[in-house]
Amino acid sequence: MKNLLVAILFFFSFSVSSQTADQLITLLVNKINSLKDYSVTANIKANIPLIKVLPVSATIYFKQKDKFKVVSKGIAILPKQGFTDVSSFLAKKGTYVAVDGGKLVLNGVNAHIVTVIPTVENSDIVLAKLWIDPKQNCILKTDLTTRGSGSVSIEYVYGSQVVFGLPDKITFTVDVKKFKMPKSISSDINHSEKNKKVDPKKSKSGTITITLSNYLVNKGISDDVFKKKE
Amino acid sequence: MLLKNTYNEFIKIIAKPRSYIGLGVLTALILVILFAMKADGTSYISFVTASFEQTLSFNGNILNGNLIAFIILQMLIVHIPLLVALVTGDLISGEAAMGTIRMLATKPISRTNIVLSKFIAGAVYTLILTLWLAFLALVVVKWMFGSGDMIVLNSSGLVILQESDILWRYAYSFIVAYLALLTVSSLSICLSAFADNSIGPIVSTMGIIILFTIIGSLDVTVFDSVKKFLFTTHMASWRSFFEDPIDRKGIWQSIIILVVHNILLVTIAVVKFNKKDITS
Repeated sequence: MKNLLVAILFFFSFSVSSQTADQLITLLVNKINSLKDYSVTANIKANIPLIKVLPVSATIYFKQKDKFKVVSKGIAILPKQGFTDVSSFLAKKGTYVAVDGGKLVLNGVNAHIVTVIPTVENSDIVLAKLWIDPKQNCILKTDLTTRGSGSVSIEYVYGSQVVFGLPDKITFTVDVKKFKMPKSISSDINHSEKNKKVDPKKSKSGTITITLSNYLVNKGISDDVFKKKE
Repeated sequence: MLLKNTYNEFIKIIAKPRSYIGLGVLTALILVILFAMKADGTSYISFVTASFEQTLSFNGNILNGNLIAFIILQMLIVHIPLLVALVTGDLISGEAAMGTIRMLATKPISRTNIVLSKFIAGAVYTLILTLWLAFLALVVVKWMFGSGDMIVLNSSGLVILQESDILWRYAYSFIVAYLALLTVSSLSICLSAFADNSIGPIVSTMGIIILFTIIGSLDVTVFDSVKKFLFTTHMASWRSFFEDPIDRKGIWQSIIILVVHNILLVTIAVVKFNKKDITS
């Protein structure tokens, strides 16, 4: 009898845990779907090995389902993946399974860890690990593993637009070990490469910090904005 | 007398059809590059930034006038010395071949001043060529492709310069590029003092540039001590203005070496021409 009770409790706890992961994702998707469009002013600061660039201001436009555009007077560097990919991926219900990964205190918030695994073969996202704030229904951190662009870690800080799941600050940490600048391409023939010592301890990851302000949410954005060529 | 003779020398330069070959070829080359960039510039840039674009996306007008001007300068700086040498390599030896050098030497002007006036006239021609390049690369290209931030590719990585921070870099880089071309002009005039035919100094100048460039680009220890003194190593120092931070020490070093080369080559030309037995 005692063993049966333990077995029932164990099964029940597993069931609750599994439901929680799905519930959290459902609530997240509902929040994503409540967002039709937005435009926001972004200050993009990139700190990537091999790239020297000053902070750039840009305007970011988004419209459901996957229309995304960055308008910048200067050259703005963004990660290839991670900006809207997570929400687009989660919005496609039935193309992934969510597995509960437990709880963890992240930046003072008691976060639920949910690992999302795609069930379709052609998905570019191989694995997404999400740290979700269950109270605010928002993603605090994402570890994204993709087929084409390696792994990206994304941290979110929320402010006034938390109701739409829109952050005030996003920090992307990208994998940079693939970057190589061949001499033949740079045509920089006078700088010898043989004396350059490669420091194995040198940082192999770069960060892109985007500070977002002046959100205009669900105000309607014309499709022409996304068609215009810069 | 020096100025009058310099004026005469410059008249001789502009009277020669070959002096316009340089300007014509330069214009044609830039037009070809512009056509290529207009037609398929995006894929050219993608090829260059391919290693970054796997992970990052570059947003904004990348293929703008500032970048294309840099590409043009990078491509042509190798070929412009030939266009300079084509004219300046002929300044003394051409007259020796035609037999007019003897008449020139009978004028009431010292042989030193004859060489100096030819050097100044050659310098003015080189300046015109550089200014024409600057006009085409900056004014025409920017008019066609617009302005914007500039991506510069170095062997050490990628630098993105803001639009407001570019023009002064071009101004200084053209000055250093001019100094480099002036060195080519001085070299060809120096070789011209040794020859009695037109083609020899022109071919020799290009031969020396090719040889020195190959030595400079070889990553072999045995050439390390020589490389820093070769003028070809410093001909590309104009690129340093597009680095961040700018290698001021390296640029000054290049300027000093190029100036020393100019002084040395003109001095050799003066000494040789003063001792020359003009029999033609």
